[in-house]
Amino acid sequence: MEERSGVPDGDFERFERFLDDWSRRDFLKRVGGAAAFASLSGGALAFLEACGGGGGGGSSSATTPKKGGHVTEGWAFDIKTFNSVLTQDVYSSLCIGMCLDPLLNSKANGDLVPYIAQEVPKVASDGNTYTFKLRKDVKWSDGQPLTSDDVLFTYNLIFAPEYAAVASPRRGDFTQHVANISAPDPYTFVVKTQTPYAPFLVTHGQYGIMPKHVLGSLAPAAINTADFNSAPMVTNGAFKFVRWDKGAQVVFTRNPNYYRGAPLLDQFVYKVVPNTTAVANQLKTGEIDAGQLDPSQVDSMRTEQSIGITGFAVPGFQFYMQNLDPSKPTGQIFQDLAVRQALYTAINRDGIVKTVLFGQGQVANSVEPPTSWAWNPNAKPVYKYDPSKANQMLDQAGWQKGSDGIRAKSGLKLQFTMLYSANSPVLSGIAQVMQENWKAIGVGLTNKEIQFSSLVTQITDTRDFDIILVGFNWTQDPDESQLFGSKGTARGGFNGFDFKNDQVDKLLSDATTTTDPAKRKQLYFQYQDLMNEQLPAPILYFNKFNYGVNKRVQNYGYGTFNQYGPRPWMKDVWVTDGK
Amino acid sequence: MAGYLARRLLWAIPVVFGVTLITFLLMHFTAGNYVPGLELNPNLKPSDVERIRENLGLDRPLIVQYLDWVGVGSIIQAVGLAGLLGGSHNIQPGLLEGNFGRSLIDGTPVLRDIIERLPNTIELTLTAIFLGAAISIPVGVVSALRRGSRLDQTVTAASVGGFAVPQFWLGLLLILLFSVQFHAWGLPWLPSGGATSPLGGGDVVDRLEHLVMPALVLAFFYLSTWSRFVRSSMIETLSQDYVRTARAKGMTDRRTVYVHALRNAVAPLVTLVGLELPGLVSGALVVEVVFGWPGIGLLAFQRAIQTDYTMVMGITTFAAILVVAGNLLADVLYAVVDPRVRYA
Amino acid sequence: MIDSAQVATTQPPPLEAARARPGRGFWRQSWDELSANGAGLTAAGVLVFLILVAVTAPLTSHFVTHYVPTAQDLNDPFSKPSRIHWLGTDELGRDTFTRLVYGAQVTLGIGFLTVAIALTVGTAVALVAGYYGRLLDDVLMRVVDVVLAIPPVFLYILMSILFRPTAITLSVIIASVGWASLARLVRSEVLSLRTRDYMLATRSLGAGDLRLILRHLVPNALPLMIVAASLALAQVVLIEAALDFLGLGIQPPTASWGNMLSNAQVYFVHSTWLVVLPGTCIFITVLAANLFGNAIRDAFDPRLRGAA
Repeated sequence: MEERSGVPDGDFERFERFLDDWSRRDFLKRVGGAAAFASLSGGALAFLEACGGGGGGGSSSATTPKKGGHVTEGWAFDIKTFNSVLTQDVYSSLCIGMCLDPLLNSKANGDLVPYIAQEVPKVASDGNTYTFKLRKDVKWSDGQPLTSDDVLFTYNLIFAPEYAAVASPRRGDFTQHVANISAPDPYTFVVKTQTPYAPFLVTHGQYGIMPKHVLGSLAPAAINTADFNSAPMVTNGAFKFVRWDKGAQVVFTRNPNYYRGAPLLDQFVYKVVPNTTAVANQLKTGEIDAGQLDPSQVDSMRTEQSIGITGFAVPGFQFYMQNLDPSKPTGQIFQDLAVRQALYTAINRDGIVKTVLFGQGQVANSVEPPTSWAWNPNAKPVYKYDPSKANQMLDQAGWQKGSDGIRAKSGLKLQFTMLYSANSPVLSGIAQVMQENWKAIGVGLTNKEIQFSSLVTQITDTRDFDIILVGFNWTQDPDESQLFGSKGTARGGFNGFDFKNDQVDKLLSDATTTTDPAKRKQLYFQYQDLMNEQLPAPILYFNKFNYGVNKRVQNYGYGTFNQYGPRPWMKDVWVTDGK
Repeated sequence: MAGYLARRLLWAIPVVFGVTLITFLLMHFTAGNYVPGLELNPNLKPSDVERIRENLGLDRPLIVQYLDWVGVGSIIQAVGLAGLLGGSHNIQPGLLEGNFGRSLIDGTPVLRDIIERLPNTIELTLTAIFLGAAISIPVGVVSALRRGSRLDQTVTAASVGGFAVPQFWLGLLLILLFSVQFHAWGLPWLPSGGATSPLGGGDVVDRLEHLVMPALVLAFFYLSTWSRFVRSSMIETLSQDYVRTARAKGMTDRRTVYVHALRNAVAPLVTLVGLELPGLVSGALVVEVVFGWPGIGLLAFQRAIQTDYTMVMGITTFAAILVVAGNLLADVLYAVVDPRVRYA
Repeated sequence: MIDSAQVATTQPPPLEAARARPGRGFWRQSWDELSANGAGLTAAGVLVFLILVAVTAPLTSHFVTHYVPTAQDLNDPFSKPSRIHWLGTDELGRDTFTRLVYGAQVTLGIGFLTVAIALTVGTAVALVAGYYGRLLDDVLMRVVDVVLAIPPVFLYILMSILFRPTAITLSVIIASVGWASLARLVRSEVLSLRTRDYMLATRSLGAGDLRLILRHLVPNALPLMIVAASLALAQVVLIEAALDFLGLGIQPPTASWGNMLSNAQVYFVHSTWLVVLPGTCIFITVLAANLFGNAIRDAFDPRLRGAA
């Protein structure tokens, strides 16, 4: 198998094409600052902000849950597929999670919980073997029992050579780390990794299991376009698929035989809305019950009596990657560390969070998001917004301002084009702020909006950009090899900016091969300091999401690590008016 | 008549070919050698990619690819002259066989998605045309009858103004007023998007509720032009000789107006309405985007954002062919109705 | 692009209403008619004013408001009109007044450029097709048919997905589909003009084709072209706004009324000024262009002389 790492789990859905809103202040206000992780591990689930009457969609009230009714969740994007190994966007993952359960799932705070597996497996003494004991009571919606055959089939789609034609972005990372998979008996599934790989369970244990008796007979290439991908008639999750009106909505109905207990709701609808303003409008009119709020809408939504707002930090950040490839025009410029640090110093990140994000975010101080247990709140060096210091740094590094106001040195000009995803007011705002900020230090920035899919191709394949502004979403594991490890520079990987640092590689690899959390944390602290100094792809801010939920909906437990994908709380959701 | 028909039909053919040629070239220069899933599939080696491209015939000369696209390629193959096209690749059916390509995103046939969404667009635009005519006729007539009055001036000002409002702005304002605000005030409110309610809806009332605002926004534009047209047409008809004759004969004003003048004044409106028919398929795009109306326009827009070039070009080709067919039909109808046209 | 219904006149009123004015030429009479049309004059005045505003934008920015359109103030977004910001600020704290003035430059610039290109190309094609007739006419009109058959909005979407256009690129894109309806319009005028007596007369005097076309056809088709041009201008301004709304038009920070309006509607809850101001500017421009076009049409139509 050709060496092609770096496109593991989550991948494209990690890229935040969409504006994220968040605010750390509110967290710290409640929890008193300090240990962010501690506050999150307990708090994220029950985290509500009081608004117009208090309470909100997430609290469990004293009244008894009623069966029946529906919940409509509105999103500004349509889904693409129901195939759990092919999916590349979070919206598809959301819908897949409604009807296809995985071996393991995540709680809001990141802890793994067993789903189809009876318990979260501990790695065997050899450090490589994971044995999943499957529940015996899981049935497909057509009555067939779910066995390890189905699990083996699903994982073979990203592992077995005969299924190489299946266009899964997860195959690269999986085959890189896994030595072999097997199903010794109908309720046991075994995975053996090549070397100890700490992120394994988190990264690869959460794929929705698909039915072998439906997809097994198809030729590998045909699986990419199978009918199942648009209409999964045989499922095993909390809800059953009813229909997908493309561009309009996806409708699910209760699975009465769900092995974890039948859901209280009759139906769930994933509704496609024109844009984020429409999400806010439809929340107000009640056409949708829940939806992610654009940062600009959060404040005005607080005055709505019928809507409760849930906000929480998410394991994601917004950053810009600088193309370090020496063969590219900017490669030589960005090799100069002073340039990278000066550029970063000149960006008014506080202003961005305050004005472009309406406060729904946190200025970043590290490459690890604060939702991660490995986050170092004191990572050094610390960068404050200081245009005069940035000017100084560039002067000292020999970059002189030309007659056009742009700095130059040995024939190279500090002039860049930045690419970012179109149709995002937040990204557009950030880009314009950066443009102004850099103009003040003699750096010319041209902004260019392109469609998201082209952006992804640029990052993973074409790579002839100067700078790319994009977001990234992580799992609960602090490993960041796919973005900052040198293996990610291969074609198809996310390290499109050609960052190769031996020290970083060693830290990352050491941290994944040991399973001792204390030791890992130490290594990650070193890693964060090193990355802060190197700044190949400086982080602008950490994201926070806000959701509006109609107060008639109870137990809607949006959380940091389980917004997309299966929601453990979904089966307990009920509506007060029973409609 | 037959000669006229034949000539029009004959000239329509190169137009259709011209359209397909343009869309093909546009598609080639945008999507080019793009094959769905190819670039983003990290499992393929570059040699695999080349092989797949060869299989799909993407390395052949442009003209051959064009003939394939149109469907001439498979006809040639059926007749047994496949050798002419060079290579033993897989010839897909073309436009002539109803294959408008496959989506780059999920491989579904473009035509299938078009057929699914087309009725929604037609429903919207036809309703708008109907609304436009239904409102502009009485408005225009009344304005003409009370020419120079306050009412007339208001109507004229409103119609000239109605022309100048950006459609998306109007739509958003209507949503804010009739959906959000009315709901906040406790009044009966209109849904702010989509064609039906996701659950349980689909009945006539539900569909009408969703249809009203988008159709109104679309109709607004027609209203402005048509009411002025009806007005001036009515004014001029009323001053015609035969109207004065009818009055002189003792017919009451009312009867004069409604029976004689109205019919003749409104008839030319048909021409104007006919002019809108080609825009039936594509004219509602902005309105569809604002209201999330699941029609052809919204489909094209959503897919364009996802760089699904084949889908966008398939829709464009389909719409263009419809326009040509529509124009042809309109011409035939005029020739039937107005003999002078046939001999032009 | 042009709805020919707007340009086509209705049946002329009865002859007795037309007052003959002996001794005054066609153009003079038309000018009289135009001057008598209050709405038309106002519209013309408004247009001239807007053009002036657009042209003097850098002066306004330098001497009057003292802001450049891109200067941000992240501490003061969405502010209401005040002494330091006469019309308030936008989402990044930029001065709205300055941006509106520069927006005039971009929006009107695109409008006029597009119309200029489309009119030139369209008229050229129409002149050749209408004058020479027969096969050349058939072929050229089929080309026009092809261009008219493709719904422009799909083409705009496709072309703009590839790149976000600059003002000039956008003008070219819109003109590349817009010339066709103008060509059709002018052609029918040419066809009717071609058979006029003075054409035959001049030809029999030995005038060559080019001379006939340029010295006789064009001036007489001019009124129609002006009408079509002003109506087209109105449409282009609206098209530009719609494309901005779809995210396919002029990219910020360059200000155009269209993109100011579509950005503002996202932030509607934060500032209604931002929505109202550019929208009003667009409205006034389109209205003025339409009224002016109508006025020209009415003034130059001899059948409407004195009919008011």
